[in-house]
Amino acid sequence: MSQKKHVSEANIKVAGASTLLKRKRKPHYEDGFLQKLGKQKALLLMSLPFVVWLIIFKYIPVAGWVMAFQDYKPQFGMFDQEWVGWKHFKELFNEPTFYRALENTLGMGILGLVFGTLFAIAFALLLNELRFLTLKKWTQTISYLPHFVSWVIVANIVITMLSPEGIINNLLVGTGILNNPINFMARPDMFWGIVTAADVWKETGWNAIIYLAAMAGVDPQLYEAAKVDGASRWRQMWHITLPSIRPVIIVLLILNIGNLINIGFEKQMLLGNNIVAEKALVIDLYALEYGIGMFRYSFGTAIGIFKSVISIILILICNGFAKRMGEGRVF
Amino acid sequence: MKRKITSMSLWMLVMMAVVFLAACSDDSSSDQSSDGNSDEPITLTLFNADGEEKTFDDPVAQKITEETGVKLEIDYPVGGSDEAVPLMIASGDYPDLIFAKGDLGKLIEAGGVIKLDDLIEEKGDNIKQMYGDQLDRLRNSIDDPSIYTVGTYGVENAHWETSGTFQIQLDVLRELGYPEINTLEEFEAAITEYVEMHPEIDGQKTIPLSLLGSDWRWLITVGDPASAASGIPGDGQWAIDDETGEATYKFLLPELKEYFRWLNGMNDKGLLDPESFTHTYDTYISKLSSGRVLSVADQDWNISDADAALVSDGKEWRTYAPLPVTLGEEYVSQGLKDYGYSGGWGIAISSTSEYQEEAFEFLDWMASEEAQILVNWGIEGENYDVVDGKRVLKEEDRERKNSDNNYGKETGVGYYVYPFPQWGNAALDSNGEPISPDTEQDIIDNFNSAEKEVLVEYDMNNWIDWFPPTEELGVSNHGQAFNYPISSGSDLEIIQQKADDLTEQRITQAILGSPDDFDATWDAMIDELEAMDIEKANQEMTQKTLEIMELWGTK
Repeated sequence: MSQKKHVSEANIKVAGASTLLKRKRKPHYEDGFLQKLGKQKALLLMSLPFVVWLIIFKYIPVAGWVMAFQDYKPQFGMFDQEWVGWKHFKELFNEPTFYRALENTLGMGILGLVFGTLFAIAFALLLNELRFLTLKKWTQTISYLPHFVSWVIVANIVITMLSPEGIINNLLVGTGILNNPINFMARPDMFWGIVTAADVWKETGWNAIIYLAAMAGVDPQLYEAAKVDGASRWRQMWHITLPSIRPVIIVLLILNIGNLINIGFEKQMLLGNNIVAEKALVIDLYALEYGIGMFRYSFGTAIGIFKSVISIILILICNGFAKRMGEGRVF
Repeated sequence: MKRKITSMSLWMLVMMAVVFLAACSDDSSSDQSSDGNSDEPITLTLFNADGEEKTFDDPVAQKITEETGVKLEIDYPVGGSDEAVPLMIASGDYPDLIFAKGDLGKLIEAGGVIKLDDLIEEKGDNIKQMYGDQLDRLRNSIDDPSIYTVGTYGVENAHWETSGTFQIQLDVLRELGYPEINTLEEFEAAITEYVEMHPEIDGQKTIPLSLLGSDWRWLITVGDPASAASGIPGDGQWAIDDETGEATYKFLLPELKEYFRWLNGMNDKGLLDPESFTHTYDTYISKLSSGRVLSVADQDWNISDADAALVSDGKEWRTYAPLPVTLGEEYVSQGLKDYGYSGGWGIAISSTSEYQEEAFEFLDWMASEEAQILVNWGIEGENYDVVDGKRVLKEEDRERKNSDNNYGKETGVGYYVYPFPQWGNAALDSNGEPISPDTEQDIIDNFNSAEKEVLVEYDMNNWIDWFPPTEELGVSNHGQAFNYPISSGSDLEIIQQKADDLTEQRITQAILGSPDDFDATWDAMIDELEAMDIEKANQEMTQKTLEIMELWGTK
């Protein structure tokens, strides 16, 4: 019994810390605006370059969105174009290929998010339990190295390993699990899985870093207290480590969900082929091939705007959800 | 995992900003700062859509610089990207010389390239002489009959070689006692028999037929052999009636369906490499280089690395012979078809170049006799000698040319022929000597020992002897459809892109599926093509062909 009591006290302590954080956000003095400005002069100056950077690189380019409402031709100036209203959006929404691209993007995005997060957390938890420091550091370094390998190379490794004469098939046939080799890359139903698996292999180590850092910040007293009460390693993981990093997990999830639709196209382009093309077409690839590649800048921009709108909606939904659960959130 | 900020929209917006800033900046940098009179060579930048990593410092390049005072800095699209030219236009940052292949229309529309008519008139003596009465074929379109590019294909071409036909390993011919192979049926029987005799080659499994359908090369190893087997001349994705100009998207034709039904059967019988649609180009070439692939359907230039590797490994019998294979006796192989000078693709001069005149003079020089001898033969005394007034390649050079795939890149010999203005392989210099080292006799001399032996067995001089001769096939009135400038964003372009994407997928699925499903898959594809209004693309392409024939005066 007493074990449980201690553990729950520990939980209260953590919860207390986070409410403290929240309170801090409310100003507890009532200075005038200018006075406040004067007091925070140094801070404001420090943030200025970043605000300028943000405006130049993130806000000004948004002006280019007008392209989506024109028949944009680069040889003319921005305002000498023909205005066409919603034409490009209408064309986009009437295009069956676009819906296929959307489905693939969301499908692979969600799979990547779920498995990417699960594996990263699990890996971080296991690494965190390693008491032998040198081994831990080595494992960590080795595991995040694939992150720095280009997708071009990873895709070639994957294609070679999964080919009918590749190592995976040799293994499966050799051990008698399969009678005939499977041509994995020629199976449209497996494509999402292959992309996700390749992604997990490449990024798990890297994604685990941030969770490991969060785990390093957990108060050791909590573990000591739990140990005194006889909590096993698994219990400590479940009741101390995981709850402690929950805010980090939630914030990262929200940010990642906002980026769900921005899964890029390198993986799909490099791993894909004509057999699986239907499952490999993602929005970015669609924008590249049918937008920029065909000189239809306006059409490409319309796709870009659509993506941004989806991202913002997703972020708002998740953030609202987190807010209602009383968890850490982005804004 | 999702922290990479590779958002497409962001990129487009950044590009937009660049365009915007570029449009605002003044053009003071492009005034005549005229330092052209100094002896320092000027550097011209060249975008080569077919280029590769290469510096302009081999002996031939140095000689070119010496003669013209021009150094080239060659840029190329990484990984054969389709987006290089559109991005170039978006940024407004053009190289001096642009070889854009099919993207030329976009550059013309964007005002990125200049008209060359006046320059040709004023100082294009070499170019005028080279093109002669074919000059009209350089013209852009009926609405804008100006000349924007020069180069790419040889003028006065003879046909001593084929490319893009079915090719079979020489050892198959030898083992089977040199059979006649003219139809797909005979072709299949030959490789089937050989595989039964030799299930393994050098300890590895024999691959009867391998294709490369995983990237754009689908078009040349899957799509084009289909029309070739049906006796349709090479017009890319189109089948065009040379008399009426009527164009049809070729996959709508019943002959092509029959070809793919055959391929589907090949796959079902285990004669088609199961990795044909998934392996990468490197894997494909390494399979070919190992000598265990009995047959391919590919362009010679696509497999030349494998060919050179086989020869240098002493596996001459594993190299390939081109075959005039068609679906049946009633179809005539178009392997030696003369398309005339096709125009279309070529090198253009950018509108922003500081050195437009110099660039044109350079191109004109490249069309001169002196330049053509240099780029084709190399340097006298180093790469070739003149014996009794004839140019003869040095023995060492001849050997390297046939077995070392870095020969052209290292010495520069033959490297600057394409895509520059070039005389054809049948052209003669002022002394009546061939301008190209690849005369028919040279091609024959350069066959490897196995090839020579097989030719003797068949009682032929050259592989082309078993193809229907060029004279019988006639000269095309419309050139080749894939060279036509298609305006960007037009219905024709968009429908064709969609149709190409669809057919690549559906046909691949049809080939790999069960023979029982073949008809259903094929018919569903035709329905889908009709749903995307392929008929409209057919009509527009017909229109385009008629216009080209009118522009060229061939109709």
